[in-house]
Amino acid sequence: MTSFAIATHGLTHRYGSHTVLDELELEVPTGEIFGLLGHNGAGKTTTVCILTTLLEATDGTARVAGFDIRTAPARVRSQIGYVPENVQFYDDLTLMENLRFFARLSGIAKPDAPIERTLEFLKFEGHESERLGTFSKGMRQRVGLAQAMVHEPEVLFLDEPTSGLDPEGVRLLRETVVRLNAEAGTTIFMNTHLLSEVTKTCTSIGILRAGKLVHHDSLAGTLGAYPSEDALERAYFSSGTPVA
Amino acid sequence: MTMLSTVARQELLASRRNRAPQFLIVMFIAMVAVSAMIGWLTNTTVSDVYRQVLAEGYTDQPNPFDSIAQLYYAHNTVIYVVLIGSLMAIALGVQSALRDRKASTADLVLTRPIRVKTLLAGRLLGIAVLLAAVVALGMVITWATISVINGGPLGVSPTVRLVAFGGLTWVFLCGFAVSGVLAGVYIKRETTALLVPFVAWAVVVFVLPQLGTAARPVSLLNPVALPPQTTGIFHWLSYVTSPLSIGENFKTASSGVLDAPLSAFPWASAAVVSVFMIIAVVVVVLFTPAAKLRGGAYE
Repeated sequence: MTSFAIATHGLTHRYGSHTVLDELELEVPTGEIFGLLGHNGAGKTTTVCILTTLLEATDGTARVAGFDIRTAPARVRSQIGYVPENVQFYDDLTLMENLRFFARLSGIAKPDAPIERTLEFLKFEGHESERLGTFSKGMRQRVGLAQAMVHEPEVLFLDEPTSGLDPEGVRLLRETVVRLNAEAGTTIFMNTHLLSEVTKTCTSIGILRAGKLVHHDSLAGTLGAYPSEDALERAYFSSGTPVA
Repeated sequence: MTMLSTVARQELLASRRNRAPQFLIVMFIAMVAVSAMIGWLTNTTVSDVYRQVLAEGYTDQPNPFDSIAQLYYAHNTVIYVVLIGSLMAIALGVQSALRDRKASTADLVLTRPIRVKTLLAGRLLGIAVLLAAVVALGMVITWATISVINGGPLGVSPTVRLVAFGGLTWVFLCGFAVSGVLAGVYIKRETTALLVPFVAWAVVVFVLPQLGTAARPVSLLNPVALPPQTTGIFHWLSYVTSPLSIGENFKTASSGVLDAPLSAFPWASAAVVSVFMIIAVVVVVLFTPAAKLRGGAYE
């Protein structure tokens, strides 16, 4: 029997009369790297905000890491890591001070050893006593990953993780995500509008258009249905039939 | 380490690294340190004039400054607490509330298993500890300065009174700091978030106390005792505004702590200062929704 790290049922969100997310039905099996594709305004960030309990859905339900986002939000938060788009930190504090704070908020009483392990995993040692204000965009993104994975979450949410990164930064991030999934078994939910990103990193793909999920399949299934990137791009931009 | 202490420690660390609160704290401490010296210089100058007048035979009355209380010089500190301390506390509160929004870290914090109430209570605890340290330092400086002026260490009774004054000052400053947090949470723009509590401070410190006296021009212009008023618009105006005049109540309570016997202590004024702080804490901790901390990024 497949266990799902994320399962939504009729998940809907409206801002006033505008429906941003329209009855999302989504199941992401444990251990997958799921890529949610969609252009700006498709509802990707709203989906992540609801699943990370930052936003309360107008309607519908969802379970993350086995816990209901409505009835057990604190349990959900203890099982997830989250890297928002353009992740920022307390610039006046050092890397270690920032990571200690977030690790302790995640319930780690003695955070130094887990932080060292995480930095070693990310190959990011040697910057512990530097203030975050001096870090480049790529370095911040790695700190973002570090704060999100220091407590070894079951599910990791990444919102546009490659946004603003140079090609080397993108490559590093991609490698890290794949390695984290392979070595720790962490389920990864990744929002992006870059087609190349999902095909190189993800094991399953969903396409969100105007708040509706119009495609959801494994990478192999998706590439079978859309053999070329052009075909996938057409599905991404044109209208399609929402998945049942 | 609990979530509460984690957030409080973070608050202290962030305040220590931020230059704006540092500047305000240094300025407050400097004014407290100088206030007793100003009082002493005033005393010395007036006493010199008195001795000159006495030597020239213009008076045979005793020098009124010979019989002043040991803590007389601490009275100047009260003014600096009201004028500079409260503004410092408001700025600390606003900075604390806006920190996550300015740094865009609110979403990182709110996706951790911490309750919003705990987060806010931890922040207030951090500010309260910081203010306690600042007030304690101020009182130590005041104690040392007055001891030097008096030519020997203060006795037990005036020391206890000074400690009690420090406690009252801490409660007063915490009230304004929490007001700053409240403004920072509910107002999105930093300048407006600072301006609104500053205006509220000006109203409770300057405008409300003036309403009573300005409405009684005789009292304002002449140092004569007014006949007691128990009816009429001035009575009711004063009745309504005096509990809201936090600054005046703090001054009255401080005066009582520093000088008055216990039987004459102005408990009502001290209660007003304490209730102000308690109400502000309750409003911030119990009634702030998580969405307000995110700055409405997705609203």
